[in-house]
Amino acid sequence: MEEPLDLIRLSIDERVYVKCRNDRELRGRLHAYDQHLNMVLGDVEEIITSIEEDDETGEEIITKKTRNVGMLFVRGDIVVLVSPPLRTS
Amino acid sequence: MSSAATDATQAPEKAGSSSASEQNKRSPSDFLKAVLGRPVNVRLSSGTDYRGVLACLDGYMNIAMEQTEEYVDGQLTSKYGDCFIRGNNVLYIASQRR
Amino acid sequence: MSNRILPLELIDKAIGSPIWILMRGRTELTGILRGFDDYVNLVLDDAVEYSPDPRDKSVVVRRELRAEILLNGNQVAVMVPGGTGPEDSMAARST
Repeated sequence: MEEPLDLIRLSIDERVYVKCRNDRELRGRLHAYDQHLNMVLGDVEEIITSIEEDDETGEEIITKKTRNVGMLFVRGDIVVLVSPPLRTS
Repeated sequence: MSSAATDATQAPEKAGSSSASEQNKRSPSDFLKAVLGRPVNVRLSSGTDYRGVLACLDGYMNIAMEQTEEYVDGQLTSKYGDCFIRGNNVLYIASQRR
Repeated sequence: MSNRILPLELIDKAIGSPIWILMRGRTELTGILRGFDDYVNLVLDDAVEYSPDPRDKSVVVRRELRAEILLNGNQVAVMVPGGTGPEDSMAARST
């Protein structure tokens, strides 16, 4: 591996985990990417975490919503982290 | 860009001018050569820390790391075998030499 | 014209000395400036980070990193050559 994007190149057609800005997470099969890290993912599970404060108790309520999307485009500039599946080496 | 910045990256080879500060100069590329393959702490501007072994990086400060642990507000939240961090999120890379 | 200096010449003169960096956002850092490049990526030694406490953003947490760091030039907003951090500044004291 010579440059970081090689890690993404080696993950093509694999299921990857993508952490985005604003507590958005995606898991899906990596079909395509470019140098900006724009990506096309298939069979995607989107996880949105939101933290709200209970008005009365002041407790933090963490809710995770998931939804499934067949195919989507991720704009590279919202991407924070990409992790390929754990390889059994 | 400015000659000052160019000098900073090329200073180690410069003959003649050898003030104490010039001898101690360490450019970003010197730093990166020293930490490649070593444990580092990568801090994002969001405050999240990633600790792992620096596999490689490019001019955008995109980073590939191995055996990475994710810390949000100092709490271990996740582990990744390999991970890619997009450079625009990076605040700093710290060596873990001490 | 020759009495003018370029902005980055000022930073070049700070190599080997303390410097205080204000980042985009609320984070600030101090350290000994070891070097920098055209993008103002900075190498700092004995860096100290001052960042807002995640639980109470009005509180600033001081953290000694005890390491050499490479600071992303993209995130740098202001540099104060010779600066030793917010504890030493009139501005920080008045708030």
